[in-house]
Amino acid sequence: MPSMVEIFVDGLKLQVDEKKNLIDALKEKGIHVPHFCYHPALEVVGMCRICLIEVGSVKIDPQTKEPARDDKGQVIVQWNPKFQAACNTPITAGMHIRVASEKVKKAREGVMEFLLINHPLDCPVCDKAGECSLQDYSFAVGNETTRYREVKRNIPQEKIGTNLLINHNRCILCYRCVRFDRDIVGIHDLEMQARGNDTVIAYTPPPGSRDTLLNHNYQGALADICPVGALLNENTLFRSRVWWYQQNQSICHGCSTLCRVTTNVKNNEIYRYMPPEEPEKNGFFICDKGRFSTTDFSRDRLLTYLIKGHGSKSRDVLPQLADLFHQAHSLLLVGGTTESCEDIDRILSLVQKWQAKGKQVNWEYRTQPYMWRGEWDKKVDFLLMVDQRPNSNYLRQKISGFTSQEKWQEALQEADLIIVINEFAAPYSYRIENYADIEKLYLFKLFEEKSLWSKTVLLNTHANAATAKALASLPIMVFPEKAGTYIDKEGVAKKSAQSLTPAQGLLSSGQILAKWNDYVEQDSLAYV
Amino acid sequence: MATKIVQVHQKYAWKWWQKFYFMSITAGLLVTLKHFLKSAILRRQVTVRYPEEKRPLSSRFRGLHRLKKDEEGRLRCTACYCCQWVCPADAIHIEAAAVTAEEQHLYREDKYPKVFQVDLLRCIFCGLCEEACPKGAIYLDGGIPMPDDSRDRLILNKEDMIESVGGKLIGERV
Ligand code: SF4
Ligand code: SF4
Ligand code: SF4
Ligand code: SF4
Ligand code: FES
Repeated sequence: MPSMVEIFVDGLKLQVDEKKNLIDALKEKGIHVPHFCYHPALEVVGMCRICLIEVGSVKIDPQTKEPARDDKGQVIVQWNPKFQAACNTPITAGMHIRVASEKVKKAREGVMEFLLINHPLDCPVCDKAGECSLQDYSFAVGNETTRYREVKRNIPQEKIGTNLLINHNRCILCYRCVRFDRDIVGIHDLEMQARGNDTVIAYTPPPGSRDTLLNHNYQGALADICPVGALLNENTLFRSRVWWYQQNQSICHGCSTLCRVTTNVKNNEIYRYMPPEEPEKNGFFICDKGRFSTTDFSRDRLLTYLIKGHGSKSRDVLPQLADLFHQAHSLLLVGGTTESCEDIDRILSLVQKWQAKGKQVNWEYRTQPYMWRGEWDKKVDFLLMVDQRPNSNYLRQKISGFTSQEKWQEALQEADLIIVINEFAAPYSYRIENYADIEKLYLFKLFEEKSLWSKTVLLNTHANAATAKALASLPIMVFPEKAGTYIDKEGVAKKSAQSLTPAQGLLSSGQILAKWNDYVEQDSLAYV
Repeated sequence: MATKIVQVHQKYAWKWWQKFYFMSITAGLLVTLKHFLKSAILRRQVTVRYPEEKRPLSSRFRGLHRLKKDEEGRLRCTACYCCQWVCPADAIHIEAAAVTAEEQHLYREDKYPKVFQVDLLRCIFCGLCEEACPKGAIYLDGGIPMPDDSRDRLILNKEDMIESVGGKLIGERV
């Protein structure tokens, strides 16, 4: 329950929630107090001092015990001579503060000058430029020139994580990264070292660990919460500039958490995901697996119809497949957990149609050992799930599949035609770095072992060893090329936005099966 | 509704002596004669034998792009993309890379342009790149562009645009 109290900000009477942090409460009212070290998801430390404000209290007349009033009947406010950090000032009923007085402005200017003492002022080469609080506040509240004439400290850039660089000269020692690792990720591996002017942030492996580099799944989040360009991600280093991105509010395809994200698109490629707008509602953090997996959408794509590994046209491939369909008595659909609810519904209606025609059609969505073990709710860390498919929850609700893994494997053996929906879409749904590693995947080995390729049709987003082996491979759209609905692990339906323009003529899995079905129905007319 | 026509110009009324035209023709021929005498007798030609001969250009002339080095011979450009961003003709193409330890002496910061191309077929010589550059790295002071019979040769590469060590310094033009 919010407990609203009245406070006075620069003479303005405002109703705010007493339990909130002052910076957040003012932000809701449209008053922005600059801040570096304060982060709504982290503990307050009050280290950077940019949020300085003036605090005062109403003067009480000692005799009457009533608020003293001046000639005009206004209450008299006594202002504390010392500034206070807004992030660390609890809200109390009737408090008076000044957030934009001349004195406050002067104080912030001074703080800014201190913070920039050792800063190299190299925004033109800094990847953070454009989304950097230091840059923004320096323009807003800082001074144009510097009075610092001494030599700036110069510590070379260092690699402290597998995907993390630290530029010590830009660091303003706000302690956000340390707090994030300690409190959110739960690994205490960053610390401040040395004192005074020599203080730096350093990687300090947790006790018992032999790592020399930070290697958790939130290095992107570290670079993101760093209010300056001190922490940088190596894999996106110098690849773009932030103001080039088109942004879309969407969801991450990386696992069944379906974090809400902002897409960063340039030249029809998603460079990375960033946390969503209104993070208070939609989540502050996203993991590296999701954040940096988006470049997979633009590489190694399957963009032609393949028949026995050779490029062909839909007009040639689909009639052949329609013939195969007529010859087959039992069909087995495999996978589908990467597809949207709309596509799944479309495929389900086709399955019903085919069953009505007397075909024996089965659909099994469990293709990985963890799925058979039922590890749907198992977590890797506080966000990332073991279940790294965006829509497995919907399929679990919709179809039942086989009773055991063995039964499924028998069915694979017996089926006349197997249709695999995007299960061999490495690297997209598996995040494997090495292109050839698809051959090490469980499902690939299974198909190899049972030599199922000659009766397998793949609907695939990516071209790889599997598409080369299968009887036929049909190209389909990846996640951000279509808008769709997905059901997350908690059963919440979330919408993804279309962020990329698909290649001309590219269809989604549901559409391509419907097109195949068109050929099937044409043929059956021809037979009559 | 009846339209009211207003005569907005009046025909020039020629004076009687103007109708003979001799005055104007003579005045014109005198100008021709003046130039003839200047160039034929006083040798004060107005044309030059371009491109063997060249006129000095104004210090504000916007011609070919040059990438500048600093006093220590390090490339000024840090691949910030400001010029590429501002270019209204989309003529600039840059690919940035990180400076390795061995190359530190060649660059001023830790980012440098691995590829820097200016497409002269697109460039409109507006000089906005020069204005946008925070490093004083690009100037259009390379003189008049020469025509060529191949499109490839009309794309300036980084090497084409870098002046030799000790070249012109920041803010200096031709
Ligand atoms: S590296 Fe960034 S987040 Fe960490 S203390 Fe320095 S400025 Fe703050
Ligand atoms: S936790 Fe899952 S949904 Fe969230 S960012 Fe990571 S991969 Fe994407
Ligand atoms: S002069 Fe103008 S058009 Fe030419 S490259 Fe520079 S910004 Fe682009
Ligand atoms: S020439 Fe100047 S504006 Fe262009 S990339 Fe280099 S430093 Fe930036
Ligand atoms: S934001 Fe308040 S001291 Fe840093």
